[in-house]
Amino acid sequence: MAVNLFPIPFLLPLAAGIVVLLIPRPVKWVRESLALLATALTFAAALLILIHGSPELRIALIRLGDFALDFDLVATPLGSFILVFAAGFGFLVCLYSLPYMAGKAGRREYYAFLLFVVAGSACVLLADHLLLFLIGWEVVTLSLYFLVTTGGPEAREGATRAFVMLGAGDGCLLLGIGILWFLQKTFTMSGLRLPVDGWLPGLAFLLMLAGAIAKAGAMPLHTWIPAASRGAPASVMALLPASIDKLLGIFLLVRLSTGIFALGPGMGTVLMIIGSVTVIAAVMVAMVQHDLRQLLSYHAVSQVGYMMLGIGTLTPIGLAGGLFHMLNHSIYKSCLFLSAGAVEREAGSTDLDELGGLAKAMPATFTACLVAALSISGVPPFNGFVSKWLVYQGTIESGSPVAFLFLVTVMFGSGLTLASFMKVIYAVFLGKTSERTRAVKRETSAAMLVPMAVLALLCIAFGVFYAFPLTHLILPGIGVPIGIAGIWNSPLAAAFLAGGFVLGLLVLLAGRIGTGMRRASAFVGGEKVGARVSERVAASRFYDTIRSLPLLGRIYDAQERGVFDPHVQVGRLGASLVGVLRRLHAGNLLWYLAWSLMGMAVFLALFVFLR
Amino acid sequence: MSAGIQAAWYGFVFLVFPGFLFTAVAGLLASWVDRFVTARVQWRVGPPPAQPLYDVIKLLGKEIIVPESGNRAVFFAAPLAAFAAALAISPILWIPLLGGESFIGDLIVVAYLLLIPPVCLILGGFASGNPLAALGASREMKLILAYELPFLASLATAIARNGFSILISDLVRRPPVIGSLSGALAFVGALLCVQAKLGYTPFDVAEAETEIIAGPLVEYSGALLALWKLAQSMMLFILPVFVVAVFFGGINLGGWGLLWVVPEYVLVLALIVVIKNTNPRVRIDQAVKFFWRGLFPLMAAAFVLAVIGRTYGIPWL
Repeated sequence: MAVNLFPIPFLLPLAAGIVVLLIPRPVKWVRESLALLATALTFAAALLILIHGSPELRIALIRLGDFALDFDLVATPLGSFILVFAAGFGFLVCLYSLPYMAGKAGRREYYAFLLFVVAGSACVLLADHLLLFLIGWEVVTLSLYFLVTTGGPEAREGATRAFVMLGAGDGCLLLGIGILWFLQKTFTMSGLRLPVDGWLPGLAFLLMLAGAIAKAGAMPLHTWIPAASRGAPASVMALLPASIDKLLGIFLLVRLSTGIFALGPGMGTVLMIIGSVTVIAAVMVAMVQHDLRQLLSYHAVSQVGYMMLGIGTLTPIGLAGGLFHMLNHSIYKSCLFLSAGAVEREAGSTDLDELGGLAKAMPATFTACLVAALSISGVPPFNGFVSKWLVYQGTIESGSPVAFLFLVTVMFGSGLTLASFMKVIYAVFLGKTSERTRAVKRETSAAMLVPMAVLALLCIAFGVFYAFPLTHLILPGIGVPIGIAGIWNSPLAAAFLAGGFVLGLLVLLAGRIGTGMRRASAFVGGEKVGARVSERVAASRFYDTIRSLPLLGRIYDAQERGVFDPHVQVGRLGASLVGVLRRLHAGNLLWYLAWSLMGMAVFLALFVFLR
Repeated sequence: MSAGIQAAWYGFVFLVFPGFLFTAVAGLLASWVDRFVTARVQWRVGPPPAQPLYDVIKLLGKEIIVPESGNRAVFFAAPLAAFAAALAISPILWIPLLGGESFIGDLIVVAYLLLIPPVCLILGGFASGNPLAALGASREMKLILAYELPFLASLATAIARNGFSILISDLVRRPPVIGSLSGALAFVGALLCVQAKLGYTPFDVAEAETEIIAGPLVEYSGALLALWKLAQSMMLFILPVFVVAVFFGGINLGGWGLLWVVPEYVLVLALIVVIKNTNPRVRIDQAVKFFWRGLFPLMAAAFVLAVIGRTYGIPWL
């Protein structure tokens, strides 16, 4: 390709976003069509960059001695494949938003910042200069704040909390980049390969790691996701915490652990520990949630654990598994958030206790949600299973008996995920209808169904024919060929499953010849089952047996008080520090004078003794 | 091998051996063994060997009653998917056991596939629109959580004894796992977990006929119930085979192997049936506590023993 496509994924959405912000009183749909067009074109350009590649672009902007700010864009195989998906999610969410956001306030900011998110992530994924990378990263963080606030007044608090935590993570990233520059005197990412041997490189790695895990939402910097989910539009949750933030966070993590730093097994183990703890702890919390959004956002935390575990194994296969899981997670989790949005739009609530029986009115949403739920639970032959299987294999190959502890932990976490989603399926779609859901008579709008259907189909396609994304996207991305002796024959297993289904159908048909089918009311030991609320089996109480186990119960209580939330803890620490200062400021003039004199005495002493 | 022959081969594998025909016949026989042993324990004569087959055929001829308040599509799809999964596990487990191609992590794949039938049972129960079925399905889910932790730990012990190999085909070439202290412990744990996986007393809390009228199955009738029964019989064959393969050093059908494998399988099956017939049903919270607090630490200890045994070269540990 002679034409340099690089600036398109970055500049086009940026320009479109500015235009959207500037249009004062728009003609109907002009913002929407502009955003849709811009994301579609960005997606196309990203696809072209992935297929044809593109020459690198290096423009020197500022030079001050060693310090250089350059506009360097390089299409790495990893960055350009993630860009395709980031732009694709941008487009799908934009399409979904047309009916979803229709009639809501703040649409101008919504579409503008949606475009800025795409531009920012293009900048992050293509940048070869750490400061450019950081700028793109900040644009995404800032846009997240504004996108969450479009959810209305109740979203403000969550938006602030997300911004504070992500900002802290970004600050760590900046510090880490500073240390890196101090050590290497360069910002060019492709030239860096720093062994983590001393305390300073180790500190730089940990600081940048904090930035990555805050963005991806792993523990302990995860609490912004559930907080943001309280008020944010479901489409924003699907776009950012579910997909783009994961893509960017894990992209940085992979760049850190395989490119910028050369990690030893010690740091790998740190990643594996964070990963396993994240999987199990977050899913335990997710299981007992009563609200669909909260539940999904805790799962968005839990799933990061698998990616970190895979990358922490430092084996090629574990790395491939971690990356593949990142991709799969963004597919099924955004599908889940989008279906939650559809349910919310039609039924008016995401409280599990108020929903039920929606499968009848919304069969397409139900099917998409079921496929995504089975995928996230790792049921073969869906996509979540394949990437988990790769992660498990990497864990075993990393070769220590301790790795088995991680393995059993995360496999069990997968079972807990399944339990959690069975609860969702029952509470929202099956089960008895509630007053709210009885009023729902129609399926949601087509523009919302299409993105869900595309994502659900991707779940199946990437599960059954996983060899295609693995060999064409993931493996070139990590640049290491893996020899797999014999691989999971997913197409054959899927064929067996489909064949079994057909065979079962034949048995069923053979049985039904000559006999009829009858509809009757449910049998409850001879009693009549009414539609009364008291006769519903409340899904939100499913796992109370587990919640009330002695030790676990106490941990759950502590979690609900915010003991494990760094936002709350740092807040308390800050408050106690400020409390000391507040006591000093008693408003008494004599005290102030005394303090000033004491300060002057200290300065004098310093000047005298340090001269 | 040309594509045509390969397709024909997979068709054979799927339909005849070790797929549908073999698994279904063996499963129905296993369920006869279950009923026969139960009858002997209760001092009865017991049914003839073909009785489970007659039952399935009889059910196929009965009319299907669909609950008004449920979701019809899922209600129908659940038993079909459970049946399909039971059918698909069989070749994936048997081909490497019989010396065919194995792939890395197939042990983990089988452990995952074994979860599909219970998941289908849960979905089917939820789709029935019956409070008793919903209650039973939620219990089944909690039961899965309860037994999966010690089950995975016992598998980890077996894997450790096998030199950290997760290939099913490697099981055949190693000394049996059960011939060591850790292996024997893990076998006992795995057997109890299989008991729960099959939904047999003392862990039949999900179906609990005398309490919640078969739980998730309460609304099923006719051909759909026949499919459930068939799928459950197939699992009654597959699960003990899995345990035998993992803990008794694989399945060797060549030479004198057959003379060993059948008694081993029948022994495991008989143990399961005897446990079923000599224990009362526990409550769901008791089951969770038993698996998490009782069995899991034991399995973890077995794993530690196995690792110590390997590291210091003590074969009996």
